Amino acid sequence: MLSRVAENLYWMARYLERAEDLGRFINSATLLLLDLPLGTRCGWDILLQITGEAQRFQQHYGQPTEKAIMRFLIADSRNPSSLLSCVHQARENCRTFRDLLPGEFWERINSLFLYVQDGLEKENIAEDRRARLDFLENVIARRHALVGLLVGSMSQNSAYQFIKLGRNIERADMGSRIVDVVSAVIPPEDQGVRRTVYQSLWVGVLRAMSALEMYRQYVGVQVRSARAVEFLLRDSKCPRSVRSCLADMELALAYLPNAGIPAEALRRTRRRLDQLQLKELTPAVLHEYLDQVQKDLSMLHHTIENAYFRAREKNDPYPHPSLQRIALQA
Amino acid sequence: MQKILYAYPEGSTYDELLTAAGKPRPVARALLQHFEKLGPEALRQRQETADTAIRAMGITFTVYSEAGNIDRSWPFDIVPRTLPARQWRQIEAGLRQRLKALNHFIDDIYNEQRVLDDNVFPREVLEGSRNFRAACRGVHPRFGAWANICGSDLVRDADGTVYVLEDNLRVPSGVSYMLENRAIMKRLFPEIFAMCSILPVDDYPAQLASMLADLSPRPSDKPVIAVLTPGIYNSAYFEHSYLAQQMGAYLAEGKDFLVDSEDRVFLRTISGLLQVDVIYRRVDDDFLDPEVFREDSVIGLSGLMRAWKRGTVAIANAPGTGVADDKVVYAFVPEFIRYYLKEEPILPNVPTYLCMREADREYVLAHLDELVVKPANESGGYGMLIGPRASVEERQRFAERIREDPRNYIAQPTLSLSTAPTLIGDHLEPRHLDLRPFILQAKDSYVTTGGLTRVAMNAGSLVVNSSQGGGSKDTWIVEEDA
Repeated sequence: MLSRVAENLYWMARYLERAEDLGRFINSATLLLLDLPLGTRCGWDILLQITGEAQRFQQHYGQPTEKAIMRFLIADSRNPSSLLSCVHQARENCRTFRDLLPGEFWERINSLFLYVQDGLEKENIAEDRRARLDFLENVIARRHALVGLLVGSMSQNSAYQFIKLGRNIERADMGSRIVDVVSAVIPPEDQGVRRTVYQSLWVGVLRAMSALEMYRQYVGVQVRSARAVEFLLRDSKCPRSVRSCLADMELALAYLPNAGIPAEALRRTRRRLDQLQLKELTPAVLHEYLDQVQKDLSMLHHTIENAYFRAREKNDPYPHPSLQRIALQA
Repeated sequence: MQKILYAYPEGSTYDELLTAAGKPRPVARALLQHFEKLGPEALRQRQETADTAIRAMGITFTVYSEAGNIDRSWPFDIVPRTLPARQWRQIEAGLRQRLKALNHFIDDIYNEQRVLDDNVFPREVLEGSRNFRAACRGVHPRFGAWANICGSDLVRDADGTVYVLEDNLRVPSGVSYMLENRAIMKRLFPEIFAMCSILPVDDYPAQLASMLADLSPRPSDKPVIAVLTPGIYNSAYFEHSYLAQQMGAYLAEGKDFLVDSEDRVFLRTISGLLQVDVIYRRVDDDFLDPEVFREDSVIGLSGLMRAWKRGTVAIANAPGTGVADDKVVYAFVPEFIRYYLKEEPILPNVPTYLCMREADREYVLAHLDELVVKPANESGGYGMLIGPRASVEERQRFAERIREDPRNYIAQPTLSLSTAPTLIGDHLEPRHLDLRPFILQAKDSYVTTGGLTRVAMNAGSLVVNSSQGGGSKDTWIVEEDA
């Protein structure tokens, strides 16, 4: 398979996953912000912190109001990570390999794009919360249909593996960002209120990752910080946990050639995932830890990029100094 | 029951399916009887089914416009164009002969240039050729075949004579529509295929693949073949992707390749670099290699010409082949056949006036209202003048252009292109058409069975190009009963 085709498949999957996760996150944050008690220092700008787009937002907008942030995150084509941009880029990537996927896939991704475009024109998504909830839920449902189509009707060939890699690395990254909400919120001093706030926060996070029901089944009805972190990041019973995503990626790599270096980067990421001591968990420790997970995922991305998308002549130097280290270890 | 041919006029020109008396020709008899039996409503439904199938199969070409690029389905007419097999065999032999002579000419022009020394072809024409590539001098492609894939346009005049109108030797397109049109017709009218003996067309991708494999410089069972496409915004991208898929070849863009220090060409794949043996390029010479041709090309690959000249990779069609894709050169093809092959041409050229010749030019300028004037180097039906239909101002403008640059213009009598019945609403009307067969040449030569019939969908129009209101039909070469 050509490197360019593999790269387009991988990024299409990343963009689609990002669009879905953004939709989940915005919906869950909208519900969550309504629940938080007065006195909690948390506003809509938390959405910018978590998506890492605060700086770009400031270039184009003034006050971080709900309206401005929603427009920026959902409908602004100047923001390459906005929902509109993600769906658009996924569709453009898909053009180049239509013949590798089941026939209806192109039609459906095209119709998803048109739905997003029309919806943003017709509805006041930025201000009308009810319209926004509906719109985002529909985007998520349509995206599920796309994944279902691939799972149900695509051979598990190389093309499939690149889609799987893209989907899971993005899901792990977005998941770790969503969990980070908890460390970004500063609750009031009062111990009792604090507990309620964290309770609501974790429920919100679990909901954003469609994990609330599974958490209740496997962990319990009471939502506690340490156990939620464990479940959302490290439990393979949670399908969107970082560990589950890594496991899926490991299977994909096992199918592909030249997987030595990415597989080593993957093992390193997993080892680091295991190192967190849950006993002394403070928001600051959690944040630092999640930051490291994201860095590891970014390194993993670079190893995939170098192994598959940047075929070089034998004597070319390895492009990224820290990748040389991994290359030596592998 | 209403007749579907009720509005069909008595023959003012040659009709492919009906005689001058309005009776079906023998090869079309079963077909037209069957269509009458089906009736207008059933035909309309099948036309709709065809349109839906085309959209669903994603058979599109891209139209460039200010509003962005749109994928558009090419109109397809469900009434096929028929030709008797016996007549076709003659045409086929003529096409093989022509391409053989053209390849002799190209090989000669880039090497000994005997044709110039023997005064068969004027040196000044070559010197004025925009598509002669000095960089190709001294190269010997395998089998002396430079043009490996040729699409020649055939037209039929009122008296029934089939002429070659032009030879497309650069990157001819359309063959995928020929294949898809047949696939659709078999789905729509399986019963007719059972009734008459219609020769199959679908071995083209296999023939193309084996021709390309023959060009490989590395002897191996399975040479690596890549189709070089300019990318998704090219109007023929659908075809590039279709052929690559059918041949099991890589569909690659310029940036997917690299040329190493030993002038070998590689593809960047997920398993590392893969050496390429044969490139079926669908990119024009100008954009093929920025080291040699246009420096600003982003769709070619740097170093490709080095590799080709060193013989590590084969390119089809070879660079420089366009020298023979010139309407002035076209006028000399019958001479080439006599000169190189010592044979008489089987297929005639349309009589052609070369404006570079003074006597011809004077004649053309005096008869602009009767002639079709064409620039030597354009394709797609652009930049031509159809004298009888042009306004006085248009003719004046053309006269000026011809005087300014006579080398670049040729003129031909206006042929009354043949017609075939075409479904318009609930009945059949005549529409003008041409035929583009595809000819392959390397170790052996091959001609598609029939080719792509292009039809001008507007009443009376003679322009069949997809970019200008043309559509297409399936082409049936029919074996007559003995």
